[in-house]
Amino acid sequence: MIGLQNAGKTSLLRVLAGQEFTVDSIPTVGFNMKRLQKGHVTLKCWDLGGQPRFRSMWERYCRNVNAIVYIVDAADKEAVPVAAEELHALLEKPALKGIPLLVLGNKSDLSGKLSVDELIDAMDLKAFKGRETSCYGISAKEETNLDAVLQWLINRKNK
Amino acid sequence: MAYAEKVEQDLLKVSRIAVYQEAKAVLNSSPIQPLKCRKLLTKIVLLMSTGESFPADEATTIFFSSSRLFGNPNESLRQMLYLTLKALANTAQDTIMVTSSIMKDATSGEAIYRPNAIRALNHILTEASSVQSIERLMRAAIVDKNPSVSSAALVSAYQLLPIAKEVVRRWQNETQEAASASKSGGGFSLGFSTSNQHSLAAANTNYMQQYHAVGLLYQLRMGDRMALVKMVQQLGAPGVVKSPPGVVMLVRLAAKLAEEDTSLRKPMMQLLDSWLRHKSEMVNFEAAKAICDMHDVTEQEMTQATHTLQLFLTSPRAVTKFAAVRILHHIASFKPTAVLSCNQDIEALISNSNRSIATFAITTLLKTGNEGSVDRLMKQISSFIAEINDEMKITIIEAIRVLCLKFPSKQAGMLTFLSGILRDEGGYDFKRSVVESMFDLIKFVPGSKEDALGHLCEFIEDCEFTKLAVRILHLLGLEGPKTPQPTKYIRYIYNRVVLENAIVRAAAVTALAKFGIGQKDPEVKRSVKVLLTRCLDDTDDEVRDRAAFNLRLMDEEDEIADKFISNGAYTSLSENGNVLIRIDSMFSLATFEHQLVMYVTAEDRSTFEQAFDISTVPVVSHEQALAEERSKKLTLATPTLKAPVTVAKKPAANGSSEGVQSALAQAQKYSAQLSAIPELQGYGNVLKSSALVELTEVETEYVVGAVKHIFADHIVVQYDVKNTLPDTILEEVSVVATPADDDLLEEEFIIPVPFLKTDEPGTIYVSLKKISDTPFIATTFTNILKFTSREIDPSTGEPDSEGYEDEYQVEELELNGSDYVLPAFAGSFDHIWEQTGANGEEASETLQLSAAKSIADATEQLARVLALQPLDGTDVALSTSTHTLKLYGKTVSGGKVAALVKMAYSAKSGVTTKITVRSEETGLAALVVGSVA
Repeated sequence: MIGLQNAGKTSLLRVLAGQEFTVDSIPTVGFNMKRLQKGHVTLKCWDLGGQPRFRSMWERYCRNVNAIVYIVDAADKEAVPVAAEELHALLEKPALKGIPLLVLGNKSDLSGKLSVDELIDAMDLKAFKGRETSCYGISAKEETNLDAVLQWLINRKNK
Repeated sequence: MAYAEKVEQDLLKVSRIAVYQEAKAVLNSSPIQPLKCRKLLTKIVLLMSTGESFPADEATTIFFSSSRLFGNPNESLRQMLYLTLKALANTAQDTIMVTSSIMKDATSGEAIYRPNAIRALNHILTEASSVQSIERLMRAAIVDKNPSVSSAALVSAYQLLPIAKEVVRRWQNETQEAASASKSGGGFSLGFSTSNQHSLAAANTNYMQQYHAVGLLYQLRMGDRMALVKMVQQLGAPGVVKSPPGVVMLVRLAAKLAEEDTSLRKPMMQLLDSWLRHKSEMVNFEAAKAICDMHDVTEQEMTQATHTLQLFLTSPRAVTKFAAVRILHHIASFKPTAVLSCNQDIEALISNSNRSIATFAITTLLKTGNEGSVDRLMKQISSFIAEINDEMKITIIEAIRVLCLKFPSKQAGMLTFLSGILRDEGGYDFKRSVVESMFDLIKFVPGSKEDALGHLCEFIEDCEFTKLAVRILHLLGLEGPKTPQPTKYIRYIYNRVVLENAIVRAAAVTALAKFGIGQKDPEVKRSVKVLLTRCLDDTDDEVRDRAAFNLRLMDEEDEIADKFISNGAYTSLSENGNVLIRIDSMFSLATFEHQLVMYVTAEDRSTFEQAFDISTVPVVSHEQALAEERSKKLTLATPTLKAPVTVAKKPAANGSSEGVQSALAQAQKYSAQLSAIPELQGYGNVLKSSALVELTEVETEYVVGAVKHIFADHIVVQYDVKNTLPDTILEEVSVVATPADDDLLEEEFIIPVPFLKTDEPGTIYVSLKKISDTPFIATTFTNILKFTSREIDPSTGEPDSEGYEDEYQVEELELNGSDYVLPAFAGSFDHIWEQTGANGEEASETLQLSAAKSIADATEQLARVLALQPLDGTDVALSTSTHTLKLYGKTVSGGKVAALVKMAYSAKSGVTTKITVRSEETGLAALVVGSVA
């Protein structure tokens, strides 16, 4: 689970784990890890820090994972090009070939956010070949669309 | 058990490369296998703790692979993981990645690995800014109710100090709370889970976190004495700090405070006294030691401490007895009378089955013994010395040796004792120490010479150690011919030639020859010749060579032969045959060695173009060398077992022989500098350089110090100037030194410093010529620093083109009698005192020394100010009320100077002294006395 700083990774993970949404969480130094129990499936999620100094280390943690979740702050239009650039740079790495990708446009509750289609264009997601790629709009705060995310993740297990 | 053995064997054959490969496989396999991973991590830690190190890239890979293990909830694995991360943190890169994970464990993890997490955390953080991010966590952890978490946090804070002092400083309140809180709840588990009920119970009451907290508090408040005092008093109150090591720390701190600030001495002494009654022995010992180590402690203050120690002497536990007797032994070295009251109990220990206790008991008794009790003690020792091992015997012999030097009148009894144990069975080291003690007796106690030589002769009759036999033969050769009956020794020596191996035979031949060469009695000379001639048939080359050489010498004129033999190795002949050194003197060996080492290790190639010049080595007379050696042996042997001291000693405090040594070293240092200045080449050798005199306060704009160099006809004053003003350059810096009496000295030249940048020291020399007839001039200089000051433009770094001339007056420099005197050794002060009194002049003065706090203090100061050497062991004041200091030295021109200083101390008026100085040369005695005022 990666993305730029302040995109909402740690918050999303908290909400997915069934805890309350907190407004003022501290920036992640390094990474967090959580296990999610959904029915008979256990998801092991790695929440990596999004600040520039940690981005170089994303690749190390993305090797051999079942899926990469890339979270974008859909309401922060200025950050989207940077997010796109970082994502493309990451996925060019040969070690990460073929790993399914889920792009989440977070903060859909805020006004002035990009729609899913706009996000797909802005992130140039169509350019990815040879891997499953999906894109959802979600809100960790309002807990919208989170079931779809979980379902998607559960479907990708052990593929 | 079999499993444990197997694991152990696995661990024995680990190699870095294999472990690295295994790590890549095991750590990345899914699902995580806790046991396998733990074993692997153990191997990694084992490798790193046995000196192997992983290169940065491998360490980084392992580091990140192992961070996957945070996903496994196994507690033991997590603990092992932290140990690994800690070990790898220094070499791996980007270790900051695991911060969040560790922080999570540190705040809300299982109690068992929370301390591990906290300890790992401080290895990951390497910069102050990141320490800030864990501040909240640490503050909470320090006051955590679980003592092991609190301890871990305190220790981590301690380690974070160097990188984030400011941040850690803010945790003081929490630390204070941890230091005084008495938490007994929760098990203090050290590392891995302790299932053992007993160790848990013990851990519950050890309050280790208090110890850590006291340590950290001290670090945080180190710069603030008042805060430290408050802390000691607060935490020192009974029952606040329950951890004995914590209290021990406070004891040391209190002792340090008392030492540094005399006004604190009284309250701290009271605290120390109360700690003598603490319920932990550890604290009692530390307090007793601290009291006894206190600077000029009075016997009254020590009574309580020695009493406490005395009680421990009868403790059933060996270790307690040992600690007590060890401290008493230390006290006995400098305050024998204080220990007297314990003698009864100590005597009970000399037959203790524990060797170490017995040794200390005996040596303590020897030290406390007065002249009268020595005989009784010696008898006691003789009764059991056969039962103890060599090592202990040596300790005893060392003590006896010092005793011999201290009470020369007891030599007969001790000699009998020494010769008695010399006949006992024993190893080389033991025999050597006995023989060396006898050597010392022969050297320093003339009355014992013949008896001692006799005992040594008997010893070599049946000596299995070649080395010792050779040394004894050499001594016989030196001393034998001077005795009334040399023939007696010749028989012993020749026996060796007949019976021993080649090495001893050769030594015996040389010794024998010394009896023949220069021998006045033709009968003796003839028989030595006969004996040596027989040696010409020896099977060994060396023996034959020596015999032939010595036979030839015996035919020579006595005078030449004497030069070869009497002074042995030290006589040296220069190319034209002049003897460089008189027969009764030798080179100052320490300086000789130093200069040779300097010569041989010189980097500069040009050094070797010139041969080593032996004439630059100072020459000392035999008498001087002996006296120096004796006083060294006396002082070295007494304070040997100084307990580890927490407070740094003042450099001037130890060793009476240091005066001469340091004067020599100083002269060498400066003479090298001075000889590099072309203007001073014609002045000859520098005769004496004074110590550095500060002419300004240290924090002024320009710091100036001066050194006075005395030459035969000139006085050169060296000014060390430092400019402390930022952003200024001083140019053409010189000093105008004006003597108060202008008919004594005349300025010849000044060597200025062209440039002085900020904080760079420079040296100015002012040369003055003596124009009066008296060789010893005492006067006062006013010194004015002259220079052109230019400011530096901070933007360009260039100095302003405009400078202005300025003057700066510094304090006056005094030239007095002690500048012409060098400390020197002599065998007998009384002899010199009579001699200088008969054909010299005398001056005396009575003074009140307001600066001196005690007799010991005054003794030290006077010896330094007068630049003379204390003799006859008078540098150590035995009584606190009166003392007589005997000082001796030589002037730069070689005349003798002796001083007798009588001191009396009273609490009302301080130290009153009467200084009497006698000198061979006229005009000096009064000047030397004047240098004290």
